[in-house]
Amino acid sequence: MNTNIAVKDKPRKNALVLFIHKLGSPPWFYDFTGKFIPWLWLIFVGLAAWALYLGLVRGPADYLQGESVRIIYLHVPAAWASLLIYASMAVMAFIALVWRIRIVEILAMCSAPIGAAFTIVTLTAGSLWGRPTWGTYWVWDARLTSELVLLFLYLGVIGLYNAIDEPRKAARAACLLAIVGAVNLPIIHYSVKWWNTLHQGSSVSLLGGSSIDASILWPMLIMAFAVKFYYLANLLTRARVRLLEQDLRKGWVKDVVREQRP
Amino acid sequence: MSHLPFIWAAYSIGTVVLLWCAFAPLVRKKSAVRDIRRLIQLEEPARDTDT
Amino acid sequence: MTPTRKRRLIALLLILAGVGVASTVAFYSLQENLLYFQSPSDLAMQPIPPGRQFRLGGLVKPGSVTRAQDGLGTRFVVTDGPKEVEVEYVGILPDLFREGQGVIARGALDGNGLFEASEVLAKHDENYMPPEVAEALEESGHTVRSSDGR
Repeated sequence: MNTNIAVKDKPRKNALVLFIHKLGSPPWFYDFTGKFIPWLWLIFVGLAAWALYLGLVRGPADYLQGESVRIIYLHVPAAWASLLIYASMAVMAFIALVWRIRIVEILAMCSAPIGAAFTIVTLTAGSLWGRPTWGTYWVWDARLTSELVLLFLYLGVIGLYNAIDEPRKAARAACLLAIVGAVNLPIIHYSVKWWNTLHQGSSVSLLGGSSIDASILWPMLIMAFAVKFYYLANLLTRARVRLLEQDLRKGWVKDVVREQRP
Repeated sequence: MSHLPFIWAAYSIGTVVLLWCAFAPLVRKKSAVRDIRRLIQLEEPARDTDT
Repeated sequence: MTPTRKRRLIALLLILAGVGVASTVAFYSLQENLLYFQSPSDLAMQPIPPGRQFRLGGLVKPGSVTRAQDGLGTRFVVTDGPKEVEVEYVGILPDLFREGQGVIARGALDGNGLFEASEVLAKHDENYMPPEVAEALEESGHTVRSSDGR
């Protein structure tokens, strides 16, 4: 309590702290994010088009799997995104539970549907790669099974959030599930190392370089980068809508709506 | 066996899922804005009759 | 940090630690069942009785593939380096099946150490490259495929 009073008495705050405090205020967050969401979409579309041109039009087929290698420009970036979005959701859920910041709560909850979409893309693209390459659409090995569990975790978070009427209470319960589910992340990542799986091992590691030829690797990395912008743009769009819905009767929401063309 | 149908299928499904995920919040926003407009009209009837 | 926040933080960290320990224990005890396939070396260490279904994984030994005269039957040797097992399979092999390639076969051993497969899947490794690069690598004497069958 004493420290709190001390902070309030301070005449000037650090610029970064001030910025974070501002972001925590719904009207300010709504205005600020609204300005650059279109730019995020634009960057995503530009980067994705470039990556797909390099990968699908210019890029080579694989020496062994032929044309079906082209599915990895979708599968691998989506798989990385499905893990990264879960991690970011879990971290935000943690912050939301300890500090009870409403914006962070909303951001964590709005991450779940986007993560679920990427998990679905990962699973379907992977399955459609597996048929021509392995000879089967699906096997119950450790990698595929743990990625499927990730989908169920996302669906669990979404379901729990929607099942409870009071939004703050719902967010608290769903955040806890999101945090607990994070134990699945290292399991997915290391599954190909810890157990014999049909799924191949990692081709790219942060420290050890990669075993993918540059002509295939670069479009994949560009796509993986592009997908982050999709996540950001989509997340902020969703969070803004959530804020409007939750603050239905507040003055700032009415101002926002009045300013829009009817 | 030709692999092209698998590539087409993978990219089609991927595009549909990601497009749907991107447009779903816009639909929600539309209905939220409609609700808020109705609220405004209920609370401020005088404003409408003035203009 | 206020006492309430500190209390929440500690409670959350305890929950996380508990879940972490529980899942580690669970996964250590499930370790065996999560192995999708056995390598020939695994098989040599812990023999599986004839007739019981399991999956055998390894590389197709170069030069070992023989096709039956009458149709679809194929015989080949699966190796992981130190140990090998002979496999017989009747059916259509996946596109990627070739000598030196990783495969996973499901089936059972007969009494004489021959593995009778009912399904053969090709296992891809973590290397991706255009054909020209693969050729150049082969010419310079590198082996293109990973050697451990993973």
